[in-house]
Amino acid sequence: MIGTASKLRDIKAINPWQRLLVLAMAVFTIAPFAPLIIQSLAFRWAWPNILPTVWWFEQRQRSPFPLAWDYVFSPSSRVVEATINTLGIGITVTLLCLVICLPAARVLGQRTFRGKNQLEFLIALPLLLPEAAIGIALLMIFIALDLAGTYVGVIIVHLIPTIPYMARTLTSVYQGHGTDAEDHARVLGANRRQIFFRVTLPMILPGVIAGCLFTFLVSTNLFLLTFFIGQGHIVTLPTLLFAKISGGALDATGAGIALIASVPGVILLIFTDRFIRNYPLAE
Amino acid sequence: MKKTKSRAKQMLLASTLAVVSWSGAVQAEDAPGMFRSEFLQGNMGWPEVTAKARAEGTVNFYYWGGSDIINLWIDQVATPALAAEGVTLNPVRITSTKDTVDVVIAELAAGRGEEEGSVDLVWVNGENFFSLKQQNALWGAFADRLPNSVNFEWDESDPRSLLNLRDFGVETGLQEMPWSGEQYVCSVNRAHVPVDQTPATFAQLKAYLEANPGKFTYVKPPHYLGNTFVQSVLYAHNPDGTGAAPYQKSFEELGGAELARLMEPGMEYLKSLEPLLLGGANGSPRYPENSDELDNLFLNSEVHFDCKFGVFANHNGLITGTYPEQAEEMIFPVGNMIKNKNYLTVPLNSPHPAAALVAINYFSSVGAQASKLQAAGMPVGLDLWRLNDEDAAEIAAAAPPHYGVTQQELDANIAPDTNASLVDVIEATWLAVIERKEDKPLADIVAQVSGELNN
Repeated sequence: MIGTASKLRDIKAINPWQRLLVLAMAVFTIAPFAPLIIQSLAFRWAWPNILPTVWWFEQRQRSPFPLAWDYVFSPSSRVVEATINTLGIGITVTLLCLVICLPAARVLGQRTFRGKNQLEFLIALPLLLPEAAIGIALLMIFIALDLAGTYVGVIIVHLIPTIPYMARTLTSVYQGHGTDAEDHARVLGANRRQIFFRVTLPMILPGVIAGCLFTFLVSTNLFLLTFFIGQGHIVTLPTLLFAKISGGALDATGAGIALIASVPGVILLIFTDRFIRNYPLAE
Repeated sequence: MKKTKSRAKQMLLASTLAVVSWSGAVQAEDAPGMFRSEFLQGNMGWPEVTAKARAEGTVNFYYWGGSDIINLWIDQVATPALAAEGVTLNPVRITSTKDTVDVVIAELAAGRGEEEGSVDLVWVNGENFFSLKQQNALWGAFADRLPNSVNFEWDESDPRSLLNLRDFGVETGLQEMPWSGEQYVCSVNRAHVPVDQTPATFAQLKAYLEANPGKFTYVKPPHYLGNTFVQSVLYAHNPDGTGAAPYQKSFEELGGAELARLMEPGMEYLKSLEPLLLGGANGSPRYPENSDELDNLFLNSEVHFDCKFGVFANHNGLITGTYPEQAEEMIFPVGNMIKNKNYLTVPLNSPHPAAALVAINYFSSVGAQASKLQAAGMPVGLDLWRLNDEDAAEIAAAAPPHYGVTQQELDANIAPDTNASLVDVIEATWLAVIERKEDKPLADIVAQVSGELNN
């Protein structure tokens, strides 16, 4: 995959059909952002006008209250609180998920035992259940355990849909590497700690980063489970956004919040893509 | 044992995660329920309540957070004002009040009783209040016991007290305090509809739509905005010509057969309107799911009218850019513009009941009501005739403008809400007749849906 990416960089090396496909992909990826950006700058934007009839900055002086981006950046929008919560929960979930999945994936990837296939299926099971079903059932239990409406509760519930992704990714990473290098290190006298940090981890790091990226993105986009277990106390970017778009129409502040919500993912994608591409051990 | 273990686990995780704002600290000075029974028996003066409120510190206020201007008012006006009284307002914005009602009921079911819940204060009315009342999940009859209760009419012998004592026909039992009084008002887009073509009656609306097919729709029941439209149709088509009067009775008093007889002409009208609604020409009329969707259709000129609760909805739509530039209010349907109030209530298991009472007292003050009217376009919930001239003038000065109609015209066309026990039957009948197109006598449908509702 990394190989193809580097080839694509040289756009002249591919034939026109492929070029068209790349263009189509780019359009599909970028196009949804265009109306979002325009909407976030609009005051009144009615069909069939291609652009808003009144822009936010035109109305700004006349408005008795902060509009559009002024509202998004005002304390009342709770964007700062939601961003901190989203990132904090996302990072914590990712780290916990990694700690849980690394040993599990090692066993699943490098050992064979009875019932292994069934176990792999079981791990994937939470992905098949609708979020709403998990959320409502868990809410009752979490209320009884004093976990409803707490960060701890939300973090625990975020682990449910993220563990399957992380476990899958790491399992295939371990499968791809085998145990040869680790065996060599052990023969040469390294202890378990040294083996893990000096041999295993550097080898699997790109896979770990990819798994973390997915976990983080899934966690930062979870609405329903966050809403049920957080009980509205814990505001994240998805819950904030949902309150704005539940009417089927997105206003300027909703569009602004949506754009902000996509920022962490975009930054992270660029960062990890660079990291993996420049990683010395990458094939 | 389990509880202490989970608590220890929480503390451990919380500290390792360096998560700050969460706190499970529970006040345990006096026995739960003591304050409630003392206050409701009248053994407690207001200074004692405010002292306890300051000790409690916080009030968790659950309210519909979909409006930027209401959010701004809460944050910029209400929160600092309550902070000055020593109470921290923690506004919890929700998308649907029903979710909060469910949380309260789930907590009570899980054994979280008095002072052990999470919700202190809810903005509520209609069915959600009815659910809380039915489940015995309300704190008590506080509404006439606060200092600012004098701003409201509680005397049952005065017919004007009705909106304070009945919420969709359900007796409030003083367990909720009026916060805002709303009216079902339609706006018209003057870019398309000249004044002389503006309908004032349902017959005129139909005539307009025959000339301009597809330019109207209403929010789909069971959304309360859709229910309200259907109710005003039923009032206007009451075969006895008594309008809203029989719809004030409960379902038991009225009886299914009588209700069906009253509804028959109104339902016929709604059926005949279907082909003229947005998308109706293709046989599939489009009913928006909520007011935001309808606002968007109105803004985009797909429809020429926008009906919803909101005495100042037109003004709010103009200052937020969600209504078209030439939107104006209209008097429609004449004499049947349903008015009701919405309320603040305290759930039985409120963890900070004294702070909740202090907050409600603040929200009921002339100053808070006037600034809410001005900044958030929310009409006052208090009763103007209870105020002295100076306070009444403050409220009058705070009111946002009307467009094309006057407040006097709006006041002259008020109709009361429908009894909550009938609302369910009417909405189920609408779903059967209009959505599922069941072709049975109306009496049978009413009997069937009311039977299902009672089981």
